[in-house]
Amino acid sequence: MSTGQLTDSPAGPAVQSPAGAAATQPPRRRRSLTARRAWSFYVFAGPWVLGFLALTAFPLGYALWLSFTNSDGLSDNPRFVGLDNYKEVFTDSETLASLARTGVFTATTVPLTIVAGLFLAVLVNQPIRARGLFRTLLYLPAVVPPVGAALTFRMIFDRDSGAANGLLDVFHVNGITWLADPYARWVLIVLTLWGVGNVMIISLAGLQDIPKELHEAARVDGASPWQSFTRITLPLLSPVIFFQVITGVIASLQTLAPLLISLDPTTKGIGSIPESNSLFMIDVLDQYLLGGRYGYASAMLWVLFLIIVTVTFVVFRLSKGAVFYSVEPEHAKTKTRTIGGA
Amino acid sequence: MSLPVSESLDRRRFLTLSGAALGAAALSGCAASVDDGSGSGEGKGKTTLTVMCEKDDIDIKAAQKALGVNVRFLQYDAAKLNAMLASKTPPDLVRGFGATEAPYFAARKLMTDLDPYFAKSTVLKPADLDPVNDLWRFEGSKQGTGPRYGMAKDFSQDQMFWYRTDLFEAAKLDLPSETEPLSHEEWLDLGKRLVKRRLGKVKVYGMSVTALGSFSPLMSMTASAGGSLFAEDLASVDFSSPEALKALRWYLDYTKADIGPSVVNPNPDGWDWPTYQAGRMAMAGDGYWFGGAIAGDPKVAKVSRLAPAPQLGSSRISPCFGATGFWMPRDAKNKDAAWKFFEWFFGKEPAQARAASGWGIPTLTSLRSQMPQDQPYQKQAFKVQEQELAHFSVLSFTPYAQRDALDGVISKVVPGAVKSGTSAGKVADKLNEQMNDLLAKGKDVLG
Repeated sequence: MSTGQLTDSPAGPAVQSPAGAAATQPPRRRRSLTARRAWSFYVFAGPWVLGFLALTAFPLGYALWLSFTNSDGLSDNPRFVGLDNYKEVFTDSETLASLARTGVFTATTVPLTIVAGLFLAVLVNQPIRARGLFRTLLYLPAVVPPVGAALTFRMIFDRDSGAANGLLDVFHVNGITWLADPYARWVLIVLTLWGVGNVMIISLAGLQDIPKELHEAARVDGASPWQSFTRITLPLLSPVIFFQVITGVIASLQTLAPLLISLDPTTKGIGSIPESNSLFMIDVLDQYLLGGRYGYASAMLWVLFLIIVTVTFVVFRLSKGAVFYSVEPEHAKTKTRTIGGA
Repeated sequence: MSLPVSESLDRRRFLTLSGAALGAAALSGCAASVDDGSGSGEGKGKTTLTVMCEKDDIDIKAAQKALGVNVRFLQYDAAKLNAMLASKTPPDLVRGFGATEAPYFAARKLMTDLDPYFAKSTVLKPADLDPVNDLWRFEGSKQGTGPRYGMAKDFSQDQMFWYRTDLFEAAKLDLPSETEPLSHEEWLDLGKRLVKRRLGKVKVYGMSVTALGSFSPLMSMTASAGGSLFAEDLASVDFSSPEALKALRWYLDYTKADIGPSVVNPNPDGWDWPTYQAGRMAMAGDGYWFGGAIAGDPKVAKVSRLAPAPQLGSSRISPCFGATGFWMPRDAKNKDAAWKFFEWFFGKEPAQARAASGWGIPTLTSLRSQMPQDQPYQKQAFKVQEQELAHFSVLSFTPYAQRDALDGVISKVVPGAVKSGTSAGKVADKLNEQMNDLLAKGKDVLG
């Protein structure tokens, strides 16, 4: 039996590493093994690559081409308009306003969601009775399909027959038109917070990963619960929070579904969404479907794409020195921070 | 012959191969779609007719049995339709609103001229077509004349309204006349008297005006006052003309009065029927078709009556805002089968069933006698409707924008204006600016 055969077998000598085994093989056999590994990798990666090319790369390229035309998606000969659409994105007051609203929405909801999720996670991480039940109840809203949650909100906040105004009715307070400006934005924020169970569950997983000994040692040293939280829990949880910030920012910038479902009570389309909730993606959809301006809407999407890339890059840069990795990431240039901020 | 020893596959080669595979798949997909079109003729078995509509529009099994073809149902989806039209693989038949969509698609040369088909048909004879089908005709700058691009399945004169006699009696108000239309001022006044409130909440709507959006009623009111919202070339709107301003003032008064669903306080039910049925709406600005829903509730049927369309000015008009029906895309692959469907759907059993259901006025005059007249409310509605037909007229819609887009502008401008008490003149200026910008962009694309 050759050495190569030995290395192929899982029962082969434990001391011999695959790299070491390959090094002892004849060159031809080594090449064959490398090729086989490469093939198996690409066989597994292939479907994804094909999907990426067909469903991401091609649409991105097509949208880029559209963004330089005045296409309405229907007419035969769209005209090349150069950078006109991009110029309009940065000069049109409506578009800039929707972009600003989206920025405010993101800056409000992402921190709120993360703080609320973390707060709940800390609560249900305490050794209390029926802890499992509380965890389940708090996570339950996140399991409810978004359509169901949004429609429920629509009913709760209806002015004439909703539960929210029914409650005000008990105190003889006049009903509020929740689903119109200026209140619609608050309903949207509350709806966003409704799904905070997802954030809670990730934070909870992070909390459970923190060794109890650290907290016990801190307690022995006389640290208060707040000191323990800020100097041990938060630093060790920082990679989880960082992940939530990144995914939260990206999702918030693209917010669309809850708006379409819950805050369009007439179901007559995106045109009737209150102005305060007319976020950037609503504006994009408005341009695509109502305005028939495929070229301009594609330019808007490309601008949003670049904004997301830039914001993500900036968040990554800002996170340097603020995120603590207990295992130093490969090729990380940042210094590992010590627990307790010393 | 031996194959070369396999080298490790580098990324570049892998991506090249992936791209090639993707290209091959795309090409085979194209081939399949070409085959689908030309090869679906009688020689290769049953034709497959693709119909994009709402599920309730057609009985697929009955269609297949009657026509001897396979019917492939596609749920109506505007974005999907656009994509299919752009890739020149459209459905064979598409549901649409003749009143507002025919000019839009016809101007883009996406529709099939059906005149040759009508000329040859023994089922759908032009002389038997109700004038409402003219909403499916467009000749560049005018709707109602020119080639016929589609046909309505049924219709209503959408500014007529239904009212509940029980709520009128409770408010001690006289019932509206069955022959003489109310003025808009009288109608608004009735709405104000019928509304019921509690702590800032509307418990019973006095009336509903915007069942089919806001732009169409404004267009109709302006026409009733003797003007036109669209310029002659349909490329711009003018809300500042005395007639349009009169209509806009009335619309703003209605919205401010908060006596019915509006862009400021939309109806959470989404449409008027559930609200009307629950006794929470006294007058529903929905046309004859609403009687189909009323038929399902005997208690509501007992207290429901139909009234003529209110008028803003001296020109009595009563348009149709929908004319929902089917059209055949220019690039449809099975046009002959699609026409057979047309004849069956618009002229045979389905058309007779629709006529008898009360969900709309039949679009063939020969079927009018089949409209329901069994119950008292149906008899009354039939009588009022028959008188109203004389006042039907086609109002040309622009080919440069979709109705939803124009409604969207109203939804954006009016809430703020109502809240801040902006004058009608300034609202008109804002609507002109935004809608004309939209129309100019649409015209630019068409060239």
